[in-house]
Amino acid sequence: MTVAAGRVIDLHLHLLDRQVVDPDGRMVCKVDDLELELDERGRPYVTAILLGPRALGPRLGGRLGRWVAAIGERLAERDRPVSRIDFSLVTDIGSAIAVSRPRGRLDVIPLEDWVEEHVIARIPGSRHESE
Amino acid sequence: MKQLLSVALGVLTAIGGFVDIGDLVTSGLVGSRFGLSLAWATLVGVVGICLFAEMSGRVAAVSGRATFDLVRERLGPRAGLANLAASFLITVLTFAAEVGGIALALELASSVNYLLWVPAAGLAVWLVIWRVRFSVLENVFGLLGLALVVFAVALWKLSPSWSDLAHQVLAPHNPSGEGLPTYFYYAIALFGAAMTPYEVFFFSSGGVEEHWTKRDIRTSRLNVFVGFPLGGLLSLSIAATAALVLLPRNIEVDALAQVGLPVAVAAGKLALAAAILGFVAATFGAALETGLSSGYAVAQYFGWQWGKLVRPREAARFHLVVLASTIAAVATILTTIDPIKVTEYSVVFSAVALPLTYLPILVISNDRDYMGDKVNGRVSNLLGSVFLVLVVVAAVAAIPLMLATKAGQ
Amino acid sequence: MRASDLLGREVLDRDGIRLGVVTDLRCVLDGPLRGGLCAPRVEALLVSRHRTGSLLGYDRNEQQGPWLLRVLVRLLHRRLTVVPWTVVETSQAGPLARPLALRVAAADLPAAEGRRTPG
Repeated sequence: MTVAAGRVIDLHLHLLDRQVVDPDGRMVCKVDDLELELDERGRPYVTAILLGPRALGPRLGGRLGRWVAAIGERLAERDRPVSRIDFSLVTDIGSAIAVSRPRGRLDVIPLEDWVEEHVIARIPGSRHESE
Repeated sequence: MKQLLSVALGVLTAIGGFVDIGDLVTSGLVGSRFGLSLAWATLVGVVGICLFAEMSGRVAAVSGRATFDLVRERLGPRAGLANLAASFLITVLTFAAEVGGIALALELASSVNYLLWVPAAGLAVWLVIWRVRFSVLENVFGLLGLALVVFAVALWKLSPSWSDLAHQVLAPHNPSGEGLPTYFYYAIALFGAAMTPYEVFFFSSGGVEEHWTKRDIRTSRLNVFVGFPLGGLLSLSIAATAALVLLPRNIEVDALAQVGLPVAVAAGKLALAAAILGFVAATFGAALETGLSSGYAVAQYFGWQWGKLVRPREAARFHLVVLASTIAAVATILTTIDPIKVTEYSVVFSAVALPLTYLPILVISNDRDYMGDKVNGRVSNLLGSVFLVLVVVAAVAAIPLMLATKAGQ
Repeated sequence: MRASDLLGREVLDRDGIRLGVVTDLRCVLDGPLRGGLCAPRVEALLVSRHRTGSLLGYDRNEQQGPWLLRVLVRLLHRRLTVVPWTVVETSQAGPLARPLALRVAAADLPAAEGRRTPG
């Protein structure tokens, strides 16, 4: 399903919880939530994809959701806002959401980087694909 | 010619890879207690897994999305998370059962106590996941698993009354001494042993990694519709040999050695060696699949990079989950809990978890936005709906039956 | 404001009658052009009587099988209403827990019976 201007989509069905993929085909994240702003006529429109525990928590709801969001607060650097991918980077809405920038340059997945650096990189053989 | 070879390889791998510790133990056990009167449950399970895997494979080929990715998308984050928790735990439980199975098989081969093999088995499984190419991994263990054909050979050598066997299969009856709840408990166990959720996670994730497109649907279907039923026949051979050799002697299966006993009786030592090779290959292959699947489920829910086709450093969280699952599986078996018991629990709980992943796949395979013109046809939908009812019934009945029969005593 | 602030919100009509909860936000890609695509702009709310997490897509496509599931889902969501954004009281459509209020009566809203999402 490709998208042209004027097409109709439903946010929950077509955008939320979809996989975000970068130009190299790498998985970036899931669309955990969407940031909306009001236009001059008071209609909300999407400005960014939100991701991470602070975005997912409120959608889980209840005590679990608050706990997940709290973990996100703990893990985040001070004053760092909720991880977002600006909607201007989105190039296609299909079975996955395509973005125009490689994930390394999106700076939104600190946990992956941390695990990579402190755990996986220390195991021999981590640099090679094993196809 | 090359394509023909590759298709043949795929089918052979599917046959050899079908059987895991759950099938081995459950088929042997049921054969030794019920004869072939529960063969229908295996047959139903085989039809079910063919249906389920075909839909997942088609979805992976057309949409490029793997099963658990879609589970969260269709069920939402909350229900999806509950689904993940259940599926993950059961996959790790099955992983533990497979590791236990490897150790038991190696014990049969070496007379070294199985507990000593457990850490080595866990390490070997993790190393293969870490370093060995996906295609090699799939093919080697699938092909070696074909050694289990020796059960079919043993069955033939036992010269059974085929009409008698057919009668048992087609006119199922309840052998003396076993209550009806126990009968249906084992029907669900056989069903869960054939329709394992991890199989579908693995199959569809593999398809996405190998960048299947619509053109691969035919090959995928061939693997499924030829490979899985023939694999199911292996399961039935195991049950039949147990029925012919163990049932008359009142030997009940509670160890892996007894599953192989009929082969030794019917066809001698060399055949038993082949059976043990088959045990090791089947359980090792299944351990690889469950280990990877535990990572697939978590990574696909959260949207992390997963898979073996990228460098481990690019899928760091996925590999961390796989490592943690391996440690958990090994630790579970090292508690000296009977691996056969772990296997029995894993197949029953697989039946309980089945609707959670089956439903989203059934829904998506009907969604035109995703599948274009490759949506389910009427036959698939009819069968799909029948099996939806079946998996829900099995899931609901499993735990009460387990409690009522004290896990089949 | 986030999408999750609007989803799941209770909706009351002008007379205070509960319509249901917001289960989806129907958007048109005619918002401010950002990068390659126009931003999705909310044009209507899909409101269902029940809080079921997901519609599984069955309200969208008329012919989607299998029959069994379609019937079940339609049953659960038989009172699905499309509420144009223009009738929503926007003075408090922010991250607050209060129900969304509409400017019209429920009777004036069209029901959504198996409407297919174009494209």
